[in-house]
Amino acid sequence: MTYVSKSLLAISIALPLAFSAYAKPIPDSASMDIHFELPAIQASMYARPYVAVWIEDQQRKSVRTVQLWVGKDEWLKDLRSWWRKVGRYDRELVDAVTSATRPAGEYRFSWDGLDDAGNRVEQGTYTFYAEVVREHGGRNYIRQKIQLGESSMTHQLAPTQETGTITLSYIVND
Amino acid sequence: MIKNKKVKALSIACAVVAGLAVTATANAHPRWIVPSHFTVSKEGGDWLTFDVTASHGTFVFDKPAGSETGQIIMPDGRIQYPSYVTKGKRRSIFDFYFEEEGTHKVRVNNVPSYYTQYKAGRRDTVKWAKAHKAERDQVLPEQARDVITQVSYTRAETYVTVGKPTTKAFELEGKYLELVPVTHPSDIVEGEEVTFQFFYNGEPQQGVTAEITREGTLYRNHQEQLDVVSNEQGMVTFTPDTAGRWLMKANYKGELPDNPLADTASVNVHLTFEAVLQ
Repeated sequence: MTYVSKSLLAISIALPLAFSAYAKPIPDSASMDIHFELPAIQASMYARPYVAVWIEDQQRKSVRTVQLWVGKDEWLKDLRSWWRKVGRYDRELVDAVTSATRPAGEYRFSWDGLDDAGNRVEQGTYTFYAEVVREHGGRNYIRQKIQLGESSMTHQLAPTQETGTITLSYIVND
Repeated sequence: MIKNKKVKALSIACAVVAGLAVTATANAHPRWIVPSHFTVSKEGGDWLTFDVTASHGTFVFDKPAGSETGQIIMPDGRIQYPSYVTKGKRRSIFDFYFEEEGTHKVRVNNVPSYYTQYKAGRRDTVKWAKAHKAERDQVLPEQARDVITQVSYTRAETYVTVGKPTTKAFELEGKYLELVPVTHPSDIVEGEEVTFQFFYNGEPQQGVTAEITREGTLYRNHQEQLDVVSNEQGMVTFTPDTAGRWLMKANYKGELPDNPLADTASVNVHLTFEAVLQ
């Protein structure tokens, strides 16, 4: 934890530099494909998990909620981080992005590189977040720093109890 | 256990010998309130339930503290009252329907109690009478000396946030000890620093002592409490290392110049809060 906050501090100090270096939007053709898997879990009381996938900028501000799979909004708060950082501030956003929970399986979705307001984000360092919470089950909170610039990149995130392998492919077409 | 008892007995003995104010408050079981949830995300609101008790363990029910004085400070500052108040043998409970967006302060404060300490007779035994300054002359013997009246007052409080957090409910009353959560109660995260500010009769107060314990003292050998003292601006900072429910018990002993009912105050704020997961 200390390490995380220290590295965040370092990032915020380095920020003005990074900002001036990338003060232009990501290419029009750029988008991020996300391959996402919910593992099959043997449990006597299995409930489909709640899932939030979002992107934060270097100021730790959410720029886009990419996916939100939930049931009753009563339980939105159980997506602890997403609710605290994003959900509680904007009911309209919640209503706009909410979709139903999904069973175990492989999913593919993409982020078009736009923020919640529909503007193309600037080039720079961002963090991919996935929070998965299951009733009678566990919670996993996954973070991955990503560089959004002129070139493509791929990250493969190791499986956790509540997620299978997640692959992030940032693709820039020439 | 035996060791603890000895320590306790010794400390009480020391206090008596030193002629310090071993007040009802000092020995009383700290009273606190714990909500079923600190956050509401349900559109249209939701019922939450609250437990109120007084105990030495953190979130262990013990004494039948009442909820009759319970209040909910709404996000716009107005005051509402609990629904379905029930008092049992070891705790009281109440419910409330939270539907207005913003941060609510839920509190069960007690009524100020006044004790007068004095000495009388040849021995220097400290005696006590349940009387305030204006009435103590009728109660105390004529030769009473070293007479001091102390007021005790405890706020037991917690915060509940529906949707977007707000701060209007933090407004001071300007009476006795009060706590303003500089770090918003819905933004307390495990491993992150928290700042609170203490006020005494409306002014930032240095020297407020507080102990902060995580729930579940019954199931661990040591309290593992965090001890803090407020600085010149009345600020304390600490870092809850794990997610969970925490109780802060803050006390300040201060003078009350020009108060018609008491000379000194021993005043408390018992705040229950949650540190959420990262």
